[in-house]
Amino acid sequence: MTVAALTILGPLAALVAILLFRRAPAALALLGAGVEVVSAAVTLVRVAGGANFSAALPGLPGFPLRIVVEPLTAVLAVLVAVVSVLVMVYAVGYMEGARGRVRFFAKMSFFAAMMQTLVVAGDWVLLLAAWELIGLASYLLIGFSHEKGRTGSAATRAFLYTRTADLGLYVAVFVLISRSGTSEISGTFGVGGPAAFAAGILLLLAAAGKSAQVPLQGWLQDAMVAPTPVTAFLHSATLVAAGAILLIRTFPLLSPGVLLVVGLLGGVTAVATGVTAVAERDLKRLLAASTSSQYGFMLLALGAGFPAAALFHLAAHAAMKSALFAGSGIFQRARGSTSFSDLGGSGRERPLVFTAFTVAGLALAAVPPLAGYFSKDAIVAAAYESGYGFVLLPLALAGALLTGAYVARALRLLWRGEKRAEPVAGMRWMWAGLASLTVLAVFVGFLKGALSGLIGEEIPDELVTTVVGTAAAFLGLFLGWTFTADRLLGPLRAAAENGFRLAGGVDALVAKPALALAEAVRVADERGIDGVIFALVRGARDLGERVRALQSGLVHRELALAAGGMALLLVFLAVEAMRGL
Amino acid sequence: MATLLVALVAGAVLFGIGLYGALSQTNLVMIMMGVELMLGAAMVNLVAFWRFLHPAAYSGQMFVLIVMTVMALEMAVGFGVGTARFRSRGSVEMEEAEDLKG
Repeated sequence: MTVAALTILGPLAALVAILLFRRAPAALALLGAGVEVVSAAVTLVRVAGGANFSAALPGLPGFPLRIVVEPLTAVLAVLVAVVSVLVMVYAVGYMEGARGRVRFFAKMSFFAAMMQTLVVAGDWVLLLAAWELIGLASYLLIGFSHEKGRTGSAATRAFLYTRTADLGLYVAVFVLISRSGTSEISGTFGVGGPAAFAAGILLLLAAAGKSAQVPLQGWLQDAMVAPTPVTAFLHSATLVAAGAILLIRTFPLLSPGVLLVVGLLGGVTAVATGVTAVAERDLKRLLAASTSSQYGFMLLALGAGFPAAALFHLAAHAAMKSALFAGSGIFQRARGSTSFSDLGGSGRERPLVFTAFTVAGLALAAVPPLAGYFSKDAIVAAAYESGYGFVLLPLALAGALLTGAYVARALRLLWRGEKRAEPVAGMRWMWAGLASLTVLAVFVGFLKGALSGLIGEEIPDELVTTVVGTAAAFLGLFLGWTFTADRLLGPLRAAAENGFRLAGGVDALVAKPALALAEAVRVADERGIDGVIFALVRGARDLGERVRALQSGLVHRELALAAGGMALLLVFLAVEAMRGL
Repeated sequence: MATLLVALVAGAVLFGIGLYGALSQTNLVMIMMGVELMLGAAMVNLVAFWRFLHPAAYSGQMFVLIVMTVMALEMAVGFGVGTARFRSRGSVEMEEAEDLKG
């Protein structure tokens, strides 16, 4: 129990220490992440030995905060811990000499602690709290370079997108707790009928927001303004992964109808954002679109009914994508930009980094025997075996083909061009992080059997889909290497670069009506409510002006008026007296 | 009853003189003297009514005392204004005091 708690408390203690001492932030953050990874590993070993446990901490009255350590959560905790420690190592190099290091490492530690909380949360209240705090941490980290132009709006955009989708989680949790009477996550799995369907769809909404699924994918690419270690962390094991983790953990709750929707949404996202990735003109934005696409694969596997396949791909993707981002960060530091037009040839000048990047990229494109090959193979097989294979399988294959295409395109654009070797600060740490992540990306695939045995769920495997899937991946790689994006996509490219704005996209459907409504309310307020108040004020002031004009300021005239008034009064009294007589 | 009439006539004459003074004079001091005369006339009337109609009641006397207090206050405020005016403008002519209007 104590060991499991250390996965959260390690980075949290690092956060407090960094904020207190305000020096050596990198060392403190590394120490925290080290404690996190060791305790997560020990927990996993114990759980593998059959030691499941959970604990209830005092929380809200009637809703104790529970943490649960079981095979699934232990695996996720190790995944998050390993990625966070490696990204932290990479970040030490990336942030060398940069400003705001105290702030940066404090936020990263906070992020890791909250993600661990989310992973082991055993009841909805704690999960909701961790979910929100992850949103906050990512807002802070995306907006880290706040002095740069569009950073603030990108952070706000990410926060608003995910926050809006979070409303789904709130309503789902409310429905589940009110139906089952308990806030324990495993205790709400028994809820059936329409309530479970509604809750499932709402959970999917929340997960789609965090995991950047269609139609809520736009924020993820804008979030690329964050420092590269943040993106690596955000995409592989934290914010974006939170959506998929939520659905994997609540899989028993999802009814067949919900699963179909999950699978379709995932498949559509895998294809649509795959096309976006092929069209992108910026390395980091390409990788961001690719992240959406890969999480689409995970949702597809979930929808097909194989949460273990989704978890497997989550782990493989965490290693591959953080390695890719780590590599792109080095290129970015070398050229001061992430646009392909500036990055041409940067692969040539750093053969080692480019090799690691290529290995991670080929792993993502599912080239055997790298990690992505096993996990994507499992997903394609899952799509084939599910009851809706006729629709899920083509989507999965198209997604695999597009993955190959954009990976090959990125490699080609990085390779072709002039060499311009310039030294990069902090290279040793960055290289250490990149190399370890790449090693992970190579070997995670071999853990398939162990993972399947540990969590007791089947990871599917089919010969026919292995052949077809690998063929699709290689075809994609060939197409991406040979043809330019314009040739590949034709007229689709412009649409893809705009993020497939159907009917103008979110901006036209949500932002403009909201702004119009705000404008209408403003006018109603200014002309209506304020108008009445100002009219009253003006009336009173005008009346005062008029009354003031009556006064001459001449004493004798005022006195004469008073005397005249008194005379009138006298006359009146006299008349009354006469009448009385 | 003739004495009451005498007192009332004296009060009316005093009041008339005071009213004329207040309306015709332009000097602040003179205007205030007019006002004092009018108040004095009112007091003569009050005393006469008390003395000749309700000698047993004290309310008339009390009323006169109140009017005297008001007179004193009026003098204090009026002369305060007059002094300030004289110090700043060197005159207490009320025809020139139009600038006091806000």
